Amino acid sequence: MAKKILAVTACPTGIAHTYMAAEAIEKAAKEKGVEVKVETRGSVGVENGLTEEEINDAHAIILAVDTDADESRFEGKPIVYSSVGNAIKNAAALVDEALAKKASSNSHVSQVQELKKERSSQRKGPYKHLMNGVSAMIPLVVGGGIAIALAFLVGGINAEGTLASALNEIGGANALALMIPILAGFIAYSIADKPGLAPGLVGGMLASSGGSGFLGGIVAGFLAGYIAKFCRDYIKLPQNLEGIKPILVIPVISIISTGLLMIFVLGKPMSAIMTGLENWLTGMSSGNAIFLGLILGAMMAFDMGGPVNKAAYAFATGLLASEIYGPMAAVMAAGMTPPLGLWLATIIRKNKFTNEERDAGKAAGILGISFITEGAIPFAAADPLRVIPSLMVGSSIAGGLSMLFGATLRAPHGGIFVLAIPNAVSSLFLYFIAILIGTIVTAVMVSLLKKDVTSVETDKNDNLAS
Amino acid sequence: MALTELLTKTQVLLDIEATTKEECIDQLIEVFEKESVVHDAAKYKEAVLYREEEGTTGIGFGVAIPHGKSDSVERPGLAIARLKNAIDWKSLDGTPVNLVFLIAVPETEAGDEHLRILSQLSRKLMHEDFRQKLKTTTSTDQLIQALE
Repeated sequence: MAKKILAVTACPTGIAHTYMAAEAIEKAAKEKGVEVKVETRGSVGVENGLTEEEINDAHAIILAVDTDADESRFEGKPIVYSSVGNAIKNAAALVDEALAKKASSNSHVSQVQELKKERSSQRKGPYKHLMNGVSAMIPLVVGGGIAIALAFLVGGINAEGTLASALNEIGGANALALMIPILAGFIAYSIADKPGLAPGLVGGMLASSGGSGFLGGIVAGFLAGYIAKFCRDYIKLPQNLEGIKPILVIPVISIISTGLLMIFVLGKPMSAIMTGLENWLTGMSSGNAIFLGLILGAMMAFDMGGPVNKAAYAFATGLLASEIYGPMAAVMAAGMTPPLGLWLATIIRKNKFTNEERDAGKAAGILGISFITEGAIPFAAADPLRVIPSLMVGSSIAGGLSMLFGATLRAPHGGIFVLAIPNAVSSLFLYFIAILIGTIVTAVMVSLLKKDVTSVETDKNDNLAS
Repeated sequence: MALTELLTKTQVLLDIEATTKEECIDQLIEVFEKESVVHDAAKYKEAVLYREEEGTTGIGFGVAIPHGKSDSVERPGLAIARLKNAIDWKSLDGTPVNLVFLIAVPETEAGDEHLRILSQLSRKLMHEDFRQKLKTTTSTDQLIQALE
């Protein structure tokens, strides 16, 4: 396949250089017969935006930017950095440099790329918006949750002026209080770009204060996002008043209408649903708790980072805002066992795996302890009908046991590393046992179901290596 | 929406004299003031010079595109100067400049047609035949036509 290059150009004013650099790169690539797509981030906004799929398929990325370019998108891709000025002058050299870049290939990286492909093909429409909100929210929950855990460790939360009460205030009263507004805000931002953020934040605050929790936050985010998008796209002002549209008209209309809908229409039913859910979860019998753990666990393993997995994950993370920590523990345990179980299987049953798979197993082990379920994808992709059911059984058991043991987790990520933080996980020992049993069950299931490797199956190696 | 809304005939200065970058910018700002593109020339000039400090707008090939975004700008505008004698602009490729495009953009202008036109112009400037045409036309009309 011909190499395809992507580029992003952006400069502070975004009036001229951004576009000249883009043109220069396009021109240089054309002269070399290389396919290229250039995203421009100027004052007109983002134009010709790169899709995740294109980023996946690209050979390398040229970043000719003097300002923010949303670089995290390109994780794992070879990147050529340049100033905008240099791109205008030396575009041809940049294209050469990009072509010469090698996609660094070890199993770890290929798994991450696999993961990205998975994501890109699945994240579309509302799902994409929801995930943008969730991913913006997670750092707050991680930082806030761990701050609270540490506050309990230090002790003396109620005494004012102590370190403990300060940590508790940072975590509980502030970081976690921002969780739902940020969730809603970034869902709306994802839908309507910048105009969505303000009404989304306000809708999220109202969901938070109105007691409708993360479910209310999600609804508020979508509501605010589509209202803002509608205002942006359909309100037309006379030319000379156009300037006040983004700073006056859209914010006023979108914030007030989102707010009124949240208060008078959606607030009450959403908060009733949320309260019902909370009551069910807190008053659940142990049988129901195990059942919930089993279901969440199976969901985590079903598509390893896909929509079903993320649905379970978002559900558990959202519940942290309601101070319900059990499902989070179950979800993390279940998300860790697929790659961990595969790692174990490659060790105990070497003859079931190719050399490459055994190497990939080591990387999977590391991804597993880091709670990156996607680490199991290369194995699942190579032999889905045998691997995925095995992973689901192991994860269900880990999730169910975690719920049975009453384990709770205050931070929504971190894998084994968060276990080292005192008080982040309750019932630490039993929780560890839950993960261990889940891992062993996964490994045994995989070993039983998978066939011995024969020389004919070498083509699978290529799947892994590519 | 067309380029001509940004650029009237009076906003093209053919074969003028200027010895420094600032002198050239001053002459073009004067045009903007006359045409009421900017209402506070001093403030706008500040924005333009500030942009120059951030990095030269001499994009090479004898072309410079100084620009300023400021609330002293009334409406988006473009002014062009072709210089009799090329002057130093600390260009990216070191060549002296004889074709100058001054761009004015209001602070609140975002996502607007005008900016799109200016971005199109910027793109065109990267092409040799387009620049050649601009440097060799003999009348204002021809130059505006070439820009279309």
